[in-house]
Amino acid sequence: MKKIPLDFDRYERPVTSPLVEATLSLIQDRVRQKMADGKLTKIIADGDHPHGLITKDDLEQIEKTILDSGYRYTWSAGISVEERPEIYQQEGVDSGQDFAFDHPEAITEDVDAEGRRLSGFGDNVVRYPQNIKGIARYIRTNARVLEYLTNGVPPNTIAVIDDSGGTLTAPIIEYFSGVICAGGTVRSHLGILTREYGIPCVMNAKISGIKDGDVVEIESSAAAKTAEDYQANTSRVAKVWRLSENNNDE
Amino acid sequence: MMNNRDLTFHGLAIKRHSTAAVIAEHIGLPAPDVEDILREAVQSGRAVFARDAYTINALARLSLEARYSRYFLELRSDAAFVQPYEQFELINKNLKQVITDWQTIDVGGSKVPNEHNDKDYDADIIDRLGAVHEQVETILQRLAQKIPRLAVYERKLLKALELVEDGEIEWVSDIRRESYHTVWFELHEDLLRIMGRQREE
Repeated sequence: MKKIPLDFDRYERPVTSPLVEATLSLIQDRVRQKMADGKLTKIIADGDHPHGLITKDDLEQIEKTILDSGYRYTWSAGISVEERPEIYQQEGVDSGQDFAFDHPEAITEDVDAEGRRLSGFGDNVVRYPQNIKGIARYIRTNARVLEYLTNGVPPNTIAVIDDSGGTLTAPIIEYFSGVICAGGTVRSHLGILTREYGIPCVMNAKISGIKDGDVVEIESSAAAKTAEDYQANTSRVAKVWRLSENNNDE
Repeated sequence: MMNNRDLTFHGLAIKRHSTAAVIAEHIGLPAPDVEDILREAVQSGRAVFARDAYTINALARLSLEARYSRYFLELRSDAAFVQPYEQFELINKNLKQVITDWQTIDVGGSKVPNEHNDKDYDADIIDRLGAVHEQVETILQRLAQKIPRLAVYERKLLKALELVEDGEIEWVSDIRRESYHTVWFELHEDLLRIMGRQREE
């Protein structure tokens, strides 16, 4: 493949702003992909800028990629935040107080005799003698991982996550009391990590109605799901209960 | 070849929360150079230094991932690289089952944490680990023909396996060291990044 002009390090230093660098890198990535797909050739030959080099759709996709990473723009005029609140930084936006996984297949029940409200199920990665109770905390953004890395994970945290590779939470996993993961299987990397740390964990969790700060219980004493169970499609699940609502101090 | 800055970010993304020295050793750059790049990354808001180690932040991770196409677009359709990569994905499933079986043991029909009291059970799994290793060695040799840096994984996996076979069983899957599983996971992460793919689970 021919090297294209944007692939040379032309300046001594990269751009100062991480946001500008990310945007530029994403634009260049799209140009490279178009080149590889044969959709662009002319620009390289004579420096012409044909229509369609970077389209409105490209820029919308780039903005979406940046927002999907969890980044929120800083703003200079309040009107911006009023117009598109979802893309700007706001006070406390990462606390996720009102966010809750709501899996369509989650099986929930009313409060039982012990005051527990069944909120769903997951695949137990390994059986422990006892259930585990703790405070549910959604950990889905880099900002929250960095906050916990810097200031420490609050005690009795049951991490509620959707990253079964453990890519996001790896640096802080050992400080969790328990993990509820919305994806993966008991053989996923996260399953391997939590077993290694002796942290109760359910994978492939289908839960509904658990919010940040709720006190929850995982049935870690339930039978673990095995490779044979997955092959035979045998249902073998551990329950997740909500014991009481938001226990956050703030 | 990635420039030193991108290679350092790549190492940081793979090592996730590590010191400059650990990252430098992994990617084969001098530690002072890596330290300089990481310090500047912290100053410019691309990385965070917490609990004596560096970690990459969201925007810098995104930038890095967008720049992979600069280095690896051609490789991603080169059969000499893609074919061994696909083979790695296949044996990755075996490895995860081997590690899961290592960590759990059947007691009364239920999988509970393996306390490693049954030497025969453990020895059987270490044999299976050795069999996986023979496969990955061949694959890594082919991958390293395209990216020589990847040879580091062959050395580290072999070191972990040999320690395990000498009876130091923490080297199977302990998280706080470069155990067989730790190195394997990092290798997988490295390959996924080169290929521009997402981890399936």
